[in-house]
Amino acid sequence: MSDAVTYEIRIQGRLGDRWAAWFDGMEIVATDDGTTLIRGRIADQAALHGLIQKVRDLGLPLLSVTRTDTPTPTGPTS
Amino acid sequence: MSDPTTASIGPLLRTKLYAPRVTRELVDRPRLAGHVGRPALLLVSAPAGFGKSTLLAQLLSGGTGSSVAWLSLDAGDSDPATYWAYVLAALRTAVPGLGVQAQDLLDSRGAPITSVLTSLLNELAASQEEVVLVLDDYHVIHDPAIHEAMTFLVDHLPPQLRLVVATRSDPPLSLPRLRARGELVEVRAADLRFTEQETSAYFDAMGLSLSAPEVSTLEDRTEGWAAALQLAALSLQDRADTAGFIDGFAGDDRHVVDYLVEEVVHRQPEAVRDFLLRTSVLPRLSGPLADAVTGRTDGRAMLATLDRDNLFLVPLDDQRRWYRYHHLFADMLQARLLDELPGETPELHRRASAWHEQDGDIGAAIEHALAAGDAERAAGLVEAVRPAMTKERREAQLRRWMEALPDEVYARRPVLANGYVGALMSTGETRGAEPRLRLAEHWVERAGTTPSGELPDGLLVASQDEWHRLPGWVKIHRAGLALMAGDVAATMQHAQDAIAVLQAGDDLGHGAATALMGLARWRTGDVAGAEAAYAETIRRFELVGHVADILGCAVTLADLQLAQGRLTDAERTYRDALALTVRPPATTVRGTPDMHVGLSEILNERGDLDGAREQLRLAQALGDHLGLPKHPHRRRIAEAAILTADGDLDGALTLLDEAEQVYDLDFSPDARPLGAIRARVWIRQGRPDLALGWAEARDLSVQDEPGYLREFEHVTLARALLAQGDDRAAGLLERLLAAAETGGRCGSVLEIAALLALARQRTGDQDAATAALARALELAEPEGYARIFTDEGPAMESLLGVAARRGLAPAYVARLRRAPGRAPAEPQLPGALVDPLSDRELDVLRLLASELNGPEIARHLVVSLNTVRTHTKNIYAKLGVGSRRAAVRRGEQLGLLRR
Repeated sequence: MSDAVTYEIRIQGRLGDRWAAWFDGMEIVATDDGTTLIRGRIADQAALHGLIQKVRDLGLPLLSVTRTDTPTPTGPTS
Repeated sequence: MSDPTTASIGPLLRTKLYAPRVTRELVDRPRLAGHVGRPALLLVSAPAGFGKSTLLAQLLSGGTGSSVAWLSLDAGDSDPATYWAYVLAALRTAVPGLGVQAQDLLDSRGAPITSVLTSLLNELAASQEEVVLVLDDYHVIHDPAIHEAMTFLVDHLPPQLRLVVATRSDPPLSLPRLRARGELVEVRAADLRFTEQETSAYFDAMGLSLSAPEVSTLEDRTEGWAAALQLAALSLQDRADTAGFIDGFAGDDRHVVDYLVEEVVHRQPEAVRDFLLRTSVLPRLSGPLADAVTGRTDGRAMLATLDRDNLFLVPLDDQRRWYRYHHLFADMLQARLLDELPGETPELHRRASAWHEQDGDIGAAIEHALAAGDAERAAGLVEAVRPAMTKERREAQLRRWMEALPDEVYARRPVLANGYVGALMSTGETRGAEPRLRLAEHWVERAGTTPSGELPDGLLVASQDEWHRLPGWVKIHRAGLALMAGDVAATMQHAQDAIAVLQAGDDLGHGAATALMGLARWRTGDVAGAEAAYAETIRRFELVGHVADILGCAVTLADLQLAQGRLTDAERTYRDALALTVRPPATTVRGTPDMHVGLSEILNERGDLDGAREQLRLAQALGDHLGLPKHPHRRRIAEAAILTADGDLDGALTLLDEAEQVYDLDFSPDARPLGAIRARVWIRQGRPDLALGWAEARDLSVQDEPGYLREFEHVTLARALLAQGDDRAAGLLERLLAAAETGGRCGSVLEIAALLALARQRTGDQDAATAALARALELAEPEGYARIFTDEGPAMESLLGVAARRGLAPAYVARLRRAPGRAPAEPQLPGALVDPLSDRELDVLRLLASELNGPEIARHLVVSLNTVRTHTKNIYAKLGVGSRRAAVRRGEQLGLLRR
């Protein structure tokens, strides 16, 4: 069972696709408003914090961190 | 446990202690220098590339009157033992010879870090030197134990030590409290951003003449980010079209540093580009290391070029042998490496790992092997370095590496699996130990069926020696787990099995196994067996020079000897252990004050109060922080014993309360629980009812089956009953005496026999009383016990008088009867009441014992009859009696009528 969920991390400034490998294969999407989305499945909270640390180490201004899906429900929900 | 086949972790890296030099093209930033002042803690908190280290180098180069201790932290330092070793080493670069005792403590087994720091802070506080300790890149530290200890350090900083912390994230160091106290100055990103004026000055210093609008554009686009300005300057050098570059830069919305690194890297020749990318995986690099990683031979020349061209290379020594890339630049390069040469990164790390292994820095070799994803290689290295790291108490780092290894690598590495169990248990954890231990056991069992000397198929070991030691150590860990689970029988069994299979020369193993055996025997009350085991443990530890462990065992050994009534042997145990601590090379060994406390208790027992006080003073002079975990507890108990002997019973109770607060549980049985010691003080205060209440709460009763672990408590109950004049004391004491005699616990026997003598005398059985006293004297005389008799008051005095008349141990009895230790006991007797009689009331009580009537007493005391009546009423209330005759009788019992 995995806790993996999808996150979107928005940073100020534009990063090229080449940063995908650095961010462990996350999708890098440059947007029109001069910000960049780093998007993808993240194994767990520890991995998320690791990712945010990478953002910090590049000196990238962090704008938002959003969870874009919910974990797979383990049972029926109404 | 020196073993030539196992690797050592490698010495401290001097390069981490190298304070960066101020280089030519720096801009003076007086506005920041003015802002900083001299706070206890200067926090420089800003993202990568904001010029934190540069600012500090500038601030501290200006002759602040303090010496500077610089420590550049990296990810490998997030381990308390490593971290503090580096901090001490850094401080020594500023103040040679500082922290020797702290280092000894750090090196000794299991000293809490607060002890190390207390020692260091005391030394600094007493010194004339002023030191600034700079911790650069503190954000790499994640270990909560380090943050906690840092908080302790910050809270206790003497004026001689100031801290500077440079970090990308605010550290968890109780900053609000420091802010509130005005002891914190912060320099943050907003402060570090270059102003337009500084930007202009910077480009001037770099020899670039830019127009004011150009400077303004660059300042705007980089937002004063130092690294970006530096990259922009590099890009502008030797460029004809300055305006074109600035326009292109300003018109692009790419991440500013990403854009500029691209510019800079693209302008380099192919060979330089390739070198930069491939060596970017190295946290620090030298020419030879770079060659090993790139497969080229131009490492040294390349580094010199990069250094000259100012390509984000930070020198780590004055000889310019070791460098690192600026962190931000390295990250940018690594991202390009991953993108442009995918799949090469693991191989580069593997090469770096091999080079470091050759070079003897196994820690770096392990880090690179892990980064390469080469778990087998990492596992082999961890296994090889484990014995040395265990000896250096770096189990936390060891555990982190072991936890980074996937389960599969353990399957074929029983020595590593067993080492993991040891690392877990050393930190008091058992979770996760069982499957690993079972794995190791499985290999040991399999090996039992292979021809001797041959390794089983599929087995991987780093050292044959370690493999041969494994069967014994697996059993030791089994015994340890059983002890932690409270299973005495299993502990004993596994410890015995361990001794049977341990190699003859494995002294550490034999020492550990016999200590476990000793603990198990002690718990069953086999004090003689436990003593033999501990004596063997000490002998083995002496062979391997583990002095700090010996001191811990000495306390246990002395306890066991005291339980057998052997004061002289216990004293020798402590004195022998003390002698080890002064044997050269003289270091401060943790546990030294514990030896003095032990001696204090023995001297006190012999009635040598001055000697006991002196030993306690020696312990206090060394300080609690040098003691073993139980030292703060035991020291207070010893001090309470001296206060008790002095007659300051309230003071003794206060100390016992304190002792209770600092009790530290370990695996040795608590044979003299604090509650019982306190109850004994209550009894001496004349409050046996409180003692009986305690006994009831502890579920103690006169019907209990005597047993070693509750013996001290049962004797305390007997004392309370005796003090209340309850004749059931005698029966209880008879049974306790028989059990103690059977168990060979002569220390208990002599106390119980002395009390039984008192009990029998009360019941009027003089012969039985004398017989019991004779037994007590017989055991006590050769060892020189005193308190056991001299603390018991007039009843014992009269018994000793009988002994003297009957010629029992004449010289000894004569000595006891004039023992100075007896004197302080007497003033306590009036206090043998919840509410002691005042001096005036005592005068009245003594007159009540005479033939005088009320008015005569009043005349005698020159007071009114009414006053005498009031005193009499109070006396009756305090003594709990209703008549003159009863009051006199009670006063007699309490010894209040003698003067």
